[in-house]
Amino acid sequence: MKIQSTYTEATLVAALQKRDNEAYQYLYTNYRGALFAIINQFVNETETANDILQEVFIAVWKNIDKYDPAKGRLFTWLHTLTRNTSINTIRTKNFKSFQKNEQLSDYVSGIELKNTIQQNINLIGLRKQVHQLRDEYKAIVELFYYNGFTQDEVAKILEIPVGTVKTRLRNALIELRKQFK
Amino acid sequence: MDIENYILSGIIEQYVMGLCTVEEKIELEILRQQHNVLNDAIVSFELSMEKKMMNDILWPSEETDEKILRAINSLGIPVLPINKTTHKAANMGWLKPVAAAASILLVISAFFNYNLFNKNKVQQKQLALANEKPVSLPSADYNILKNPTITPVAMYGVGYHAICRCTMFWDKKTGKAYIMIHHLVRSSDKKDYQLWAMVNDKPVSVGMINDAIRDRFIEVSNVPANATAFIVTLENTGGSPSPTLQETYLQGRL
Repeated sequence: MKIQSTYTEATLVAALQKRDNEAYQYLYTNYRGALFAIINQFVNETETANDILQEVFIAVWKNIDKYDPAKGRLFTWLHTLTRNTSINTIRTKNFKSFQKNEQLSDYVSGIELKNTIQQNINLIGLRKQVHQLRDEYKAIVELFYYNGFTQDEVAKILEIPVGTVKTRLRNALIELRKQFK
Repeated sequence: MDIENYILSGIIEQYVMGLCTVEEKIELEILRQQHNVLNDAIVSFELSMEKKMMNDILWPSEETDEKILRAINSLGIPVLPINKTTHKAANMGWLKPVAAAASILLVISAFFNYNLFNKNKVQQKQLALANEKPVSLPSADYNILKNPTITPVAMYGVGYHAICRCTMFWDKKTGKAYIMIHHLVRSSDKKDYQLWAMVNDKPVSVGMINDAIRDRFIEVSNVPANATAFIVTLENTGGSPSPTLQETYLQGRL
């Protein structure tokens, strides 16, 4: 079968929602590298990363009908699915890295946080940029984006008000965005 | 609301990266329908993030590709062997050592696809038989569906309730709406679902939804004519004067 070399976002989504075999192959071929890079920012075990990648593509097939283009681009949806699957897998497997079962005080100090993280994770992709942020921004992005904590949880961990957490997160993301260019 | 300041606040980055609370998400999704400049800013950041992440590539191993394709095929998803030529690939040297693996993949895939083909034939026959059965609907409900002036509003699950689904048919002339529950967790004795219309960014209570009614339309009245979106929250029995946004189960927009 000849594989269509290019799709527009709309034609790809339409074809995926019709469970088009060729479109799914195109999706896997072209997106697996980016999604695998995202996963490897969350886990440092190849076998677990492989399992997550598999789970993500199965979830895409099962849930593509739930994707609503009006709410965002396909990649944004894939990114969210990949991040959520990564965090859920880590929690389920009860990783012994710097996750929730670590001493909360470890997160407070930027230096301690840096030491903890660098021993346990792959500093690639977005996470590399996150680690170029100043310590307080780096810590908050780590807690929200890579650990999936809620605003209330982060406020308790950092012992600062929820309002400050929200402001600090937004400022951190604005700084992070500058590094996208 | 000062939409320019809102755009610059960092909420867009928070939303696109999946870090919003339910309340922040609902607010932004309503506002983006009303402000093109906000919608454009969201898309712009999405493209920026996508470009960055599509450049940060890490390829899985050939064995992983093979394993994943086998797993997918075993679930009944007909997928061809992976086409290694991607629009990102600059260094093609790595293709040579995988040529043999690709050939193996082709054979494996052909085997699974043949099995699937046979399975699909059986399923198609079953589906055809099912489709021959007549579909009956109470005549009152059927008349609602026939009304050409009615506005359908698809309502989707929010957050943890993503699998919830309802469809609302809104008759703007009469202010009545008819809700069909496709999937919604049954409320307990002490809780009821409440429908809210969003009017000028503010929630206005439309009324309670008797979620015991299934496979029939649930009628509600006095839907504000200028509503732009709807949400369904779970409230204490009898309803609340304002929505408990943390308990938002469904949202839909025009």
